[in-house]
Amino acid sequence: MNELEVKKLWQETNDKLDKTLARHQLNTKELFQLKSFHFISSMKPTKFFALFTGFLWVGLGVFILGNMFIYTLPETNKFFLFSASIQVFLTALALIIYLYQLITIYQVDISDPILKTQKRIASLKTSTLWVTRILFLQLPVWTTFWWNTKMFQEWNTFQWVITGSITFAFTFLAVWLFINIKIDNKDKKWFKLIFTEKEWTPLMKAKNLLDQIESYHDEGKENFNQSHQ
Amino acid sequence: MGILHKVARSYCSNEQDRQDLIQKMMIQVWQSIYRYNPQYKISTWLYRICLNVAISFYRKNTTRSYKYTRITEQTTQIPIEEKTSNEMQIILLEQFISELKEIDKALMILYLEDKSHAEISEILGISISNVGTKIGRLKDKLKTQFSQFNK
Repeated sequence: MNELEVKKLWQETNDKLDKTLARHQLNTKELFQLKSFHFISSMKPTKFFALFTGFLWVGLGVFILGNMFIYTLPETNKFFLFSASIQVFLTALALIIYLYQLITIYQVDISDPILKTQKRIASLKTSTLWVTRILFLQLPVWTTFWWNTKMFQEWNTFQWVITGSITFAFTFLAVWLFINIKIDNKDKKWFKLIFTEKEWTPLMKAKNLLDQIESYHDEGKENFNQSHQ
Repeated sequence: MGILHKVARSYCSNEQDRQDLIQKMMIQVWQSIYRYNPQYKISTWLYRICLNVAISFYRKNTTRSYKYTRITEQTTQIPIEEKTSNEMQIILLEQFISELKEIDKALMILYLEDKSHAEISEILGISISNVGTKIGRLKDKLKTQFSQFNK
């Protein structure tokens, strides 16, 4: 079957489609009775909710911790103060990423070339991983915020071994996850444990699309090099 | 309307999804009118919007299709209607397109719609020589598929 025959076949399917459309008098009016919609709008409500609660948390944290730093620093438990400050700082970082994603959603121009637009949307999806990585970094501070100076004077070795091991394990886990949560590890069991299917599937699809886009760009580079040799 | 339906047909097998997709494309066309750049042909602009929406919609919707497409015993017992060779070839072509990856599918539609390599390169955002290479590959695949069918 040659090129013309294939195109003729396609034309036949188009003719059929035209006939069906005419027969059913496809109701344009009906199609215009629309719910308000943006094709990536489904991403927005969750991000808005995350931003809202995140801002509340960080705002409250900054207010309380700020007051402690300014007015009651000498008598405040430093372990609590620094652990809570790190936690609030990391949450603020995650919020900045969320904000960046939200701004990018609004900036996507759907009439841009396909590869450019799709790359932007898919990259946006995979950047979600950064939020998870940063949030996991908080793990160790949840084991230290309740420490106090009294512990250093009164605790025996056994108590320190237990507490220290837990903090060390959480620190190790946080750093390990920060380094290893990346799309290349998508097939690992632990990766699938962290992300639910609902989060994981769009990530995988975004990654597959990025791979497709990359293959188009790579081929483009090869062609360019060949024509310039 | 034609472009919308052709793209929707290639990206959605289910009628309900197709209607949803067309609706989404229409809204995007409507919302993007003020961004229209007269430097491009109107068809280039329309294809960009339709294909961008279709690819995004397809990505979200494949999960839904998997959930609802189930082969039951009843389905397998339905007798296959006698089809002419031409109809079989149309089915084969549609099947071939449906099995392509998202971007390849967009390329195939544009190729079958007889768009020039220059226009395809503007719609997809890749070089003209890259368009040629990719289309060549797709044509080879298609040829193999049809030759297997003819055997």
